[in-house]
Amino acid sequence: MAAKIKKLPKVCDYFQNEDQFSSGVAYCAGCTLELHARMVSKIMGKETVIVGTPSCSAPVLNGQNAAAWHKMGHYACTMTGVASSATGLTRAYQKAGTDATVVCFTGDGCAQDIGFQTLSGAAERNEKMVYICYDNEGYMNTGIQRSSATPYSVATSTTPVGKARKGKETGSKNLPLIMSLHDIPYVATATLSHLEDYAKKLTKAKEKSKEGFAYVHVFCPCLVGWKIPMDSSIQVCRAAVRTNFFPLWECEDGKYKITKEINKPKPIADLTQLMGKYNHMDEQMLANFQQIVDRRFNVLQTLCSI
Amino acid sequence: MNALADKHVKVITGNAAAAHGARLCRPDVVAAYPITPQSEVVEQLAKWHADGSIDCEYVTVEGENSAQNVVCGASMAGSRAYTATSSYGLVYMYDAMLNTAGYRAPVVMVNVNREPPGIHAVCSGQQDMICVRDSGWVQLIAENCQEILDLSIQAFRLAEDHGIQLPVILNYDGYYLSYLAEAVNIPSVAEVDDYLSILKTQPKRPTLIPGQGIGCGSHGIGPGFVEARKKHMDALDRVYQMVDDIDAEFDQAFGRGYGGQLEAYRCEDADIILVTSGSAVGTARTVVNARREAGIKVGLVKIRLFRPWPIQRLARVLKGKKAIGILDRSLCFGWGCGPLHMETKAIIPTIGEFIPMLGFIDGLANMDITKEHIDKMIDDIYSASKGNSYQEVTWLP
Amino acid sequence: MGFIKENEKCLCETEACWSYSDKLLLCLDTSSWRTQRPVVDYETCNCCGLCFVFCPPQCITEDGEKFTPNLDFCKGCGVCAKECPKGAIKMISEGEYADECPSR
Repeated sequence: MAAKIKKLPKVCDYFQNEDQFSSGVAYCAGCTLELHARMVSKIMGKETVIVGTPSCSAPVLNGQNAAAWHKMGHYACTMTGVASSATGLTRAYQKAGTDATVVCFTGDGCAQDIGFQTLSGAAERNEKMVYICYDNEGYMNTGIQRSSATPYSVATSTTPVGKARKGKETGSKNLPLIMSLHDIPYVATATLSHLEDYAKKLTKAKEKSKEGFAYVHVFCPCLVGWKIPMDSSIQVCRAAVRTNFFPLWECEDGKYKITKEINKPKPIADLTQLMGKYNHMDEQMLANFQQIVDRRFNVLQTLCSI
Repeated sequence: MNALADKHVKVITGNAAAAHGARLCRPDVVAAYPITPQSEVVEQLAKWHADGSIDCEYVTVEGENSAQNVVCGASMAGSRAYTATSSYGLVYMYDAMLNTAGYRAPVVMVNVNREPPGIHAVCSGQQDMICVRDSGWVQLIAENCQEILDLSIQAFRLAEDHGIQLPVILNYDGYYLSYLAEAVNIPSVAEVDDYLSILKTQPKRPTLIPGQGIGCGSHGIGPGFVEARKKHMDALDRVYQMVDDIDAEFDQAFGRGYGGQLEAYRCEDADIILVTSGSAVGTARTVVNARREAGIKVGLVKIRLFRPWPIQRLARVLKGKKAIGILDRSLCFGWGCGPLHMETKAIIPTIGEFIPMLGFIDGLANMDITKEHIDKMIDDIYSASKGNSYQEVTWLP
Repeated sequence: MGFIKENEKCLCETEACWSYSDKLLLCLDTSSWRTQRPVVDYETCNCCGLCFVFCPPQCITEDGEKFTPNLDFCKGCGVCAKECPKGAIKMISEGEYADECPSR
């Protein structure tokens, strides 16, 4: 006897809007970024203006001549100019009394590296917008080069594994934490394995953007760059949360809170073994990596206890 | 009644004149970052903003790159947007300037000319505006404080005209004009409103309104890109006539006209011509007058429109002259001369005849362009006009 | 790779380059990328809906009774099969369906 649908999953309650994207868009098969972009459009809605840059999402977010790939407003700019272009848009709407949600949709390379100054500036001015960074830990669109979001030991095209060096030698920049220190109304981390948590945070970010800057950092595995099988992206997201490598937390009006407590965190090897980019890791490197993860999580826990 | 709103005459600096020009056009969004010698412009606007005497969103950005992106974004969303910068600030926003022009955002920007490079280059020179020559912006150059104010107003009229839709840079010499105080006629807000009211009668340009499923910056692949570029070039072609017309309209409305693309001063019966721009024009005019008294038939061309280059009008003025001198306050690397000189050389086919052209590089890094210098230039040009051999480029101290 | 035009084609009528989704919404024929397709065993499926929410192109449809992958846009990534807690979705090679007349 076949089962019938009784109720849709709870995450669907957060979908106030339809998917604004065309059915066939140019994200790789199995890419979490496609799921991410579609969820953003379902939660943020058609009144949104998306500000995007050259990135994996550029061919999807931005139009092509007179044609578009989605029904939201969109504005294309350079990687340096995302938060500042969005500032121009929000200020123009504020002056004209137009109701709009301006959403910056960028990768980690833009948010953490080349566009960091403008992001920090816009946050400090508390501009009314949502800034969503999809963190795929490097410059995936240009061919998998390292960014300041690339974690310790990862092999990329610019931190390759060779005889003398084995991957990136430093850890990543903890951008969500840095953003929370800008004293903005809302900062959150999210990922695609925990969709309800993710949807709640996007919804809150949209609300909070009416009063100021809301920053959401989304962990988005890249199949090609991380050497993950096509069907395993969600599994990687889940492992990142369960190992405390990417804890899910939020900071609302200065109050830090872990939104998904992990009772018995798994060792970091549970995450690294899922991907080819960590294939070269030995015991010592794993121990170093575990130390970085633990230290970062301790900082977060301390902040949450304040 | 707000005293600022009324028409009045006041002794103000070039920077203050620029700020008044911006204020009178009532921008919706102003974004700027301070830099010497422009700072006074943004400080003055901030003061009025704090007093509530201008109604705009004032964005105190963290760098010029952001300033340009803010005004481009605001303009695409339908705002009247304004920024001001100088030197390194101008080149720091260069990537964004390419978008502003390519997206056809009618932003108005003041650039207070200052030299790069070097930490001590806080001094006048036009090299900054030369660096952004090929960005697709319209570039105007003002000669004095009154013209800075008047051109600010004309710049908005030009940028936002439906047939143009291009960003405009208004250049004026740092130090020589930025800090020079002169008596300036400041029109009333109502007069400027009236002058700009024609823009409201024109069709509305498309703007990024949320909920309408439209997007900008979608310069695509192939034909779409080429089409956009061609339209951009065509719009620059329309700028020539528009600059002349707008200046004539301005003359009618305010009683001050400047000649449009260029001013040809005592050129009609002249044998030799000196071409220059900016604050140097004032000195040159004095010297030209003196030399005329002494019987030398010399004329002066003041370049007001630098981009697009006034090819036709300049060629008409120069045709039939015996020798031409060009005074540059910047360098054209790779040509061994100044940019105005190089651009003037490039119109020889349009003039249709060879005329000896003598380039003079002077006034770099706040070095004064003196009457003696200009006297020497005129001597050299005069000598060349008599068929004597001449030096193509002369550097003055 | 071809473009399917969901709406009518238009040229840039404005001075600047603007795109209009109501005039032309682009759509890639992503089904042509597929090397394997999801096949649901409805006897095993308990209608939890995880495939429905996790599907990256969001191409699993629901009609109030059951969840069905839309093979017009399914890229064949297999996330639905991997995430299905009941193991009710199998990824079957497209080769098995080679004799089916393509709908396009």
